[in-house]
Amino acid sequence: MDQEQLIRQVMAEVLAKLDAGASSPAPAAGGRVTKEQYPLGEKSPHLIASATGKHLEDFTLDRVTSGALTAEDFRIAPQTLELQAQVAESTGRDSFARNLRRAAELTAVPDDRLLGVYNALRPYRSTKAELYAIADELSTKYGCTINAAFIKEAADVYEKRGRLRAE
Amino acid sequence: MRSKRFEVLDDRPVNKDGYVTEWPEVGFIAMEGPNDPKPSLKIAGGKVVEMDGKTRDQFDMIDTFIADYGIRLEGAEAVNAMDSVELARTMVDFNIPRSEVVRLTTSMTPAKITEVVSQMNVLEMMVAVAKMRPRLLPANQAHVTNVRDNPVLLAADAAEAALRGFAEEETTVGIVRYAPFNALSILVGAEIGRPGILTQCAVEEATELNLGMRGFTTYAETVSVYGTEPVFMDGDDTPWSKAFLASCYASRGLKMRFTSGTGSEVQMGYAEGKSMLYLEARCIYITKAAGSQGIQNGSVSCVGVPAAVPSGIRAILAENLIAMSLDLECASSNDQTFTHSDLRRTARSLMQFVPGTDFICSGYSSVPNYDNMFAGSNWDADDYDDWLIIQRDLKLDGGLVPVLEDEVIAVRNKAAKVLQAMFRGMGLTEVTDAEVEAATYAHGSNDMPARNVVEDLKAADNLLKRGLTGVDVVKSLVAGGYSDVAQNVLNMLKQRVVGDYLQTSAILTRDFGVLSAVNVPNDYRGPKTGYQISAERWNQLKTIRQAVSPESI
Repeated sequence: MDQEQLIRQVMAEVLAKLDAGASSPAPAAGGRVTKEQYPLGEKSPHLIASATGKHLEDFTLDRVTSGALTAEDFRIAPQTLELQAQVAESTGRDSFARNLRRAAELTAVPDDRLLGVYNALRPYRSTKAELYAIADELSTKYGCTINAAFIKEAADVYEKRGRLRAE
Repeated sequence: MRSKRFEVLDDRPVNKDGYVTEWPEVGFIAMEGPNDPKPSLKIAGGKVVEMDGKTRDQFDMIDTFIADYGIRLEGAEAVNAMDSVELARTMVDFNIPRSEVVRLTTSMTPAKITEVVSQMNVLEMMVAVAKMRPRLLPANQAHVTNVRDNPVLLAADAAEAALRGFAEEETTVGIVRYAPFNALSILVGAEIGRPGILTQCAVEEATELNLGMRGFTTYAETVSVYGTEPVFMDGDDTPWSKAFLASCYASRGLKMRFTSGTGSEVQMGYAEGKSMLYLEARCIYITKAAGSQGIQNGSVSCVGVPAAVPSGIRAILAENLIAMSLDLECASSNDQTFTHSDLRRTARSLMQFVPGTDFICSGYSSVPNYDNMFAGSNWDADDYDDWLIIQRDLKLDGGLVPVLEDEVIAVRNKAAKVLQAMFRGMGLTEVTDAEVEAATYAHGSNDMPARNVVEDLKAADNLLKRGLTGVDVVKSLVAGGYSDVAQNVLNMLKQRVVGDYLQTSAILTRDFGVLSAVNVPNDYRGPKTGYQISAERWNQLKTIRQAVSPESI
């Protein structure tokens, strides 16, 4: 088989798989969205609410000046990040979608703790036990199971590569 | 006796630049390095067991991260077994749509994609860039800084840059403690020049995230990654910490991209004998694996390194092309200065200017060179008319539009006044009428009256301690009588609730509509396809103030 034929064949195979994957989730039934509903803010505003439950029409100047809206109301909801992850998947961006799903979990973690965990993940900052403890904390306290697994995996790799804090 | 011709040549700007011959053992080679690994990929049980000549037990941290998260494994062995010349032709051939090429490129290993793009000359790479850029229309980013961190001038410069067409603006600091002031100054300044501009403040990672969480910035970019493990450690991060940081940003509804570039590893002394392009390919795969929607690359602040070796500027284009081919937003550098020669700096930029990228410059210095705090820029405020006329000469859309002096003065004046009111409203330091006047007409910070830096820094620290956020910015603008600007800042804060601008290559229109690779994907398929300059846009681009019309003669 010549190269061009081979390329065509591989392309046909991967595209067939892509089509099969993309067509299975019905947007309405399972509540899933695709690029067809994007931009969600324009085409599907009813799907969006802030982490505090505010809808897009609530974000007015009057409500800011009256104090009815606070900084907390400008936090993205985990459900919205899940929807954006689905949009990303519908365009073949699986890795980006994984990031958005980690992010959806992290919406529950307070700012200071988030910065603390990031710093603990930097090289030579933590022992393996400390990283495992952080993973357990994120999992039990905030329900961050994906992130917990990710942090434990990091701890294992750091151990193998000598990037943990020496005790 | 010396040749008089050589004496003249020796005196030319191009001969003030530094050049070195290739030295592959220490990484002084742009691409096609003799020590670069040969591409290979073996998958067993759904896991990569061999990649680019290393078996899994030989993987370093970066190999592991890329192998586990960065490569689409479906059909990947077959793709990697294909002839690299044929794959290069697939990338260049505009009859084959971008989406089909992405299915191939995202299954390649770092060594494979490096080998594939190395089959192309720069013209072929430019055709490939025109096709592989994720967003349909190109755009541009500005740097807005000054050597004194003067907030009034920053606001005025941000407004002018927005009016001139930049879709994003980035600031950084001379004095670190000024960061919140700088972030705020360009946030409001930009919204005055043209609503919907994204802004960022490049500082240390944790501080940058903090400013974003408060709503003082709308995106982040300086999340650096490196191609060898020792350099990554010197950068005080790991692929896992950077991936976590990416998720932190998204968890607060903030857009972000990573940053990397050829030459950083050799500059930091750990190139492991590999070519700059191969190491950069690893950075781009780390970015992909971490789930970042995009990357700023193209050597960036290390441009002096690839620019000194043969084929270095070609390697910079090649790294931009790899980023886009991995379906990442690409802010394609063209920022830091690297040459004394106007010819060389123009030739370097045409590589991205002609095909167009998501952000051709990342960024273009919107201030004079002496005020550029990113160590000088390849393009600056004094080059505005050169850029505009190159667009007009070549009928290209490089993201900037001609503007009139009166319009510029008007938005600069408004920005300075609004900043004055905002500072008053937020209980920060005083901005005098003399400063407003000076910022309105200034060329750079030399034209500004001195500020009380001690008081400014105290107020900036205090602002953080008081826990002020974007909501306080909106309130102070309303109180100052600028509800229009307040509404624009509020609309920017709203973006983080919706999250549409988190998607690949997203920018905003003046009506806060999102344009990204999801709703306006690049569909270039040869002449008369892809992004076409509309009649209205062309009229805007070609109408320069300097042109003499027949009627006036």
